[in-house]
Amino acid sequence: MPTPVEKRVLIDVDRCVECRSCAAACYLSHADMPAVHFARSGWAALPLICRQCKSASCVDACPAEAMVRDESGIVRRRLFRCIGCGSCAKACPFGVLPGATAGQPRAAFTPDRLSGHQIPKCDLCADRTAGGGGVPRCVAACPSGALRYADEHDTEQVPLEIAGRSIGDSPYKRR
Amino acid sequence: MSSELDVRPGTDRAGRRAGAAAEGRGRGTPASLTRRSSRCTLCPAGCEVQAAGSGPDHWRGEPPNAAGAGLCPRGCCLPELLTDRRRIVSPLRRQDGRLVACDAAAACERIAAAARAGGIVIVLDGNLPVEEMLAAAAWCKAWPAAKLCLAIEPADRELLGGAEAGGAAYLAASELAACDGFLIVGDPFSANPTCSRGIFERRAANPRTPIVAIDPAGGAAAKFASLSVACAPGGEADALAAIAGGTGPAARALADCKKLAVLVAAEFGSTTDLRAVGELAGKVAASRGGGLAVQTVGANALAAVRIEQKLAALSLAAAMGGEVPLVAVGCDVLGMLGWDEGRVLAAAAGLPNATTEAAEVVLPLALSGEVAGTFLLDGAKAVEVGVLLPPPAGVPVPSALVAELARAAGVAAPAQRAATGIALERAEAAPPSAKGAAASARADGPQLLLTRSAMHSGCGSLTGWGSWQAASADLPELRVCPAVAGKLGIENLQVVSVGAGGPAVRARVRVAPETPGGVAVLSDGFPQCRRAVACRLDGGRFVHAAAAAAIASEESRHADAG
Repeated sequence: MPTPVEKRVLIDVDRCVECRSCAAACYLSHADMPAVHFARSGWAALPLICRQCKSASCVDACPAEAMVRDESGIVRRRLFRCIGCGSCAKACPFGVLPGATAGQPRAAFTPDRLSGHQIPKCDLCADRTAGGGGVPRCVAACPSGALRYADEHDTEQVPLEIAGRSIGDSPYKRR
Repeated sequence: MSSELDVRPGTDRAGRRAGAAAEGRGRGTPASLTRRSSRCTLCPAGCEVQAAGSGPDHWRGEPPNAAGAGLCPRGCCLPELLTDRRRIVSPLRRQDGRLVACDAAAACERIAAAARAGGIVIVLDGNLPVEEMLAAAAWCKAWPAAKLCLAIEPADRELLGGAEAGGAAYLAASELAACDGFLIVGDPFSANPTCSRGIFERRAANPRTPIVAIDPAGGAAAKFASLSVACAPGGEADALAAIAGGTGPAARALADCKKLAVLVAAEFGSTTDLRAVGELAGKVAASRGGGLAVQTVGANALAAVRIEQKLAALSLAAAMGGEVPLVAVGCDVLGMLGWDEGRVLAAAAGLPNATTEAAEVVLPLALSGEVAGTFLLDGAKAVEVGVLLPPPAGVPVPSALVAELARAAGVAAPAQRAATGIALERAEAAPPSAKGAAASARADGPQLLLTRSAMHSGCGSLTGWGSWQAASADLPELRVCPAVAGKLGIENLQVVSVGAGGPAVRARVRVAPETPGGVAVLSDGFPQCRRAVACRLDGGRFVHAAAAAAIASEESRHADAG
């Protein structure tokens, strides 16, 4: 059984300026099916990016064995096995897969260029990050520094602040 | 500045087939993709952009493979635009209302004949390299029947005219993190998202760094302010004057700054005196040891303003208000102004736009990313930018096109052109212009404002062809606060029609709590949005009248969301 990936895409919500550069970079490099989506929360419209869960509900829920953890530990979708049933989206506890996200009509972000029945899924830009040298495109494109490609344990030590007031010590606690 | 890898000019319609099989790319592994890099010149950030060969005839945009390199949606879509299948690659002329292919010599002769008959105005894109603008100016000087006009966004032109008079130094994005206070006017985070990074770095180092925002539209930058100045639409100059005079809470918040950065962005349709805003912003920055960062549309607006003044080129308002036929070179002048028609004899462009739709003759032209030269980047320093991709075979760069038109009119090559250095010299302070005839909004609806968009460059006539832009925003977004939405009976994601003195535009509602009451905000990155805000000529300048938004429901969100 492959071990989950160590590094993930983390967001500092107090830096996101909602420019959607992350979604554009993802869209153009993933066959026009972006794995970055946005959801509105009060004043902010925040990008939703797969957390690469250690215990991935989407893998368990997929009836077509399209959603798998590959040998590098990345939870990814096998394009030609996906039947677009949306089970993974419903199972995702964080709502990062389209179909489960509110705020945009689904057609607006998933043009369904192939068969019309695929669920976009973040693969951490494995073509870039394999070998540990690069970063996912969303992180590279982020102009404000809101997205980081980091080890979860490293960022636990970094206190985060909003408007000068400390509100927690983990990016995960801010969502 | 550009790194050129294994690309051979080629054999396809766009001239870029590079022998994919021989080079092992096409459907090979991502590592085998051909990549070229340069700097994006769609805004003053000048971010590095890569074009990745994705098949023999298609290139897509890639951010550099480094954390925080930064590349906004405009830069991401630039490479795919260069190889868009809708590129204009041959001359066209209008026949019975339709554009049909024609001979290049005949097209040039048609323009030369118009010049002989009564003269023409060549309206040249103001976001070209300095060398291109100067070469075109030299040809126009040698051609008495042709006058040169540089097309600069009217709001940017006013703002930069004031900024030049304000006397402050221009800050590079890399210098922002060293500033100890920030004054933000408009929404520079949407105009250029990269400029937010330095502010956040400074705030991380010192959480008490003052960030003061003046934005009647309550855009992205205002959300991050430690103090948001209450400001009615059109009142930005007065708010800045209060800060310059040392009165009010904003002035007190910035009083201790030793190096203040002032970030300014100007929106189309603004009813404030943007020249005064630019000048006051410069004076406030200079008085507190800091500098100015003006987030314009396009990377070379400052150079265009300086060249326009030093070469005494015709202003866009004078060109549009005159009777002489226009030849638009590289600019969608009608889309930029939100006009439906004008005296456009010819339009040279890379992709169709509102101006080519109105022109009698349409000519192919290189796009941004295909023209090399000097841009004022990194704090108004001269920076050489190389081509990202060469233009398609047979498609000229702007100066070559102007030269071709002049030669067709029998003009001999000019002996010399102005030195590139004139773009580095500050423009002289222009006399204050008469303030626009801004009327107050009617009481029966929110005032319609336009705001800059990170998705689109200018009016979106170029970036609107981007596949991501088309897929993610089929309609412009109308941002209103919950109170206004409740009063009008509209809800999130509902499609409505919005009018304010011009033709109504369809938009999708976004109910956003950060939006101030009394305003409705549309993006200025859509030509139809610009048409909705009436723009007219008054006293030799473009003015907008404040107008209430008439918002009518078209359908409920539920009918559209399926």
